Amino acid sequence: MAVSSRQKEGFTMPELEYLAQCETVTIVPMHRMERLELVRGTVGPFRPPQKTQVPLWLATMLKRTNRCRIVAPDWLKYEHLQKLCKQEEEPDSLFTKLPFHYLEIAHILLTVAEDDIAESQGIRRLLQDLRESRQSKTLRGMEMLNPLQLQMDNLSAAEINEIRPLFRHSFNMLRQLDSLVLASEKSQQQSQYADQSYAGLEDSFVSSYPL
Amino acid sequence: MSKRNYYDIDDILASQERVPCFLRTDLDGLGSSGGGGSSKVHRNSRWSLPFWMADRLNDEDYLDMQVSLVFSKQSNRMYAASPESVDLRNICQNYYQFGLQLSEVAPEVPHVLHNMYMTRIQKIARVAQQGNNVETLDFVQSLDKMEEDILRVCQHAQGAITAWHQNKAYALQKAPVIHN
Repeated sequence: MAVSSRQKEGFTMPELEYLAQCETVTIVPMHRMERLELVRGTVGPFRPPQKTQVPLWLATMLKRTNRCRIVAPDWLKYEHLQKLCKQEEEPDSLFTKLPFHYLEIAHILLTVAEDDIAESQGIRRLLQDLRESRQSKTLRGMEMLNPLQLQMDNLSAAEINEIRPLFRHSFNMLRQLDSLVLASEKSQQQSQYADQSYAGLEDSFVSSYPL
Repeated sequence: MSKRNYYDIDDILASQERVPCFLRTDLDGLGSSGGGGSSKVHRNSRWSLPFWMADRLNDEDYLDMQVSLVFSKQSNRMYAASPESVDLRNICQNYYQFGLQLSEVAPEVPHVLHNMYMTRIQKIARVAQQGNNVETLDFVQSLDKMEEDILRVCQHAQGAITAWHQNKAYALQKAPVIHN
C-alpha cells in the first residue's frame, strides 16, 4: 500500500492521540454501573462517588454522555506546571519529568473536560510556555549531534516525533560519512606501512651491501 | 560506481554530475564529426564527462578521472571558511550525494562533507523550527537537494503539533459536496 511521505517519517499527530487514549485517568462516575470486561482488563465497578481508574478513551466517552467527572491528574495542576516551567527555564537544566503522552492527554482533557479542570486557561498558557522552552532545548541538543547516539531524557512522544525526521536523516548521513572517513584513514595507514616496509627494505639492502 | 545505494534514485541522479577527465588512449569513432572533421577523439585531450561514465572508463584505464572542481582543494578551503553562506545550489545541486560518490577517488572529501553538514544541519534545524522569514530566505535558497528534502520534512514535522492543535491534522474531513 502506498504510504504518504509524512507517514514514512514517523507517527502523525492523530495516531499519537489515539495511542495516548490507552493511558489511564481517574474519574468520578455519576451513575451506578457494573464492571466492564474489556480486552485490556476489567474496569469498574462504578459506584458514585468512589473514584476509579479507567482508560482515557472510556473516560472521554463517559464524559461526553455526562456520566462522569474527570479528575485532573496531578501533573496537570496549575501550581505544578508553574513549578515545572520555572525549572525548565533555568539555564543548563534537563528536561523536566512529564508523562510520555503529556501533550496529547492535556489536549484531550482540555477539549473534553474543560469544566473539570481548575484554571484551564492558565494551564493552557503554561503548557504553551513549557513547550516553547522545551523546544528551544531540543534545538540546543542538536549541537551534540554525532553518528553514535543522542540522549535527551524525559522527552515526550510528540516532541520526539517532531525532531525524528531531522535526526533520522542526519544520523544516516553522518554514519555514511563516518564509515568513509574510517575507510580512507585505514587505506592511508596501509600506504604508510607500505612506505615504511619499503624503507626498511632499502635499509637492509644498504646494510647487506659490502662497503 | 559504488553499489551502496543501487536502488536510491537520488544517488543515481547525483551520478550525472560531470567530472573533468584526461583521455589516455585514442578513441576512434566516438567524437562528433560535424563539419567534416575526423571522428577520432585524441589522447591527452580533456573532457568533462558524467560521473557514471567517467568512473567506469577510469576503471578500465581509458582515462584519468580528476577530482571535480567543486571538491578541489581550493574550493574546499573556501567553503570551510563559512559553510553557512555557501550557495550549494549554485555550485552543485547534488553536493552531498556526489561527494559521497567521489570519496572513493578523493579521500579528503568525507571530512569536507562532514564539516559542511554539521554546520549546515544545525542551521536547517533552526530554520525549520522558526519558519521562513526574510533573513533565512538566502540560506533556504542555497540548500542543495538533500538539504532541501530534510528541511521540508522537518518543517512538516514541526508544524504537525500546531496543526493538530488547530484540528487540521485529521485525515477524515467533510467532502466538499456536503458543504452548504
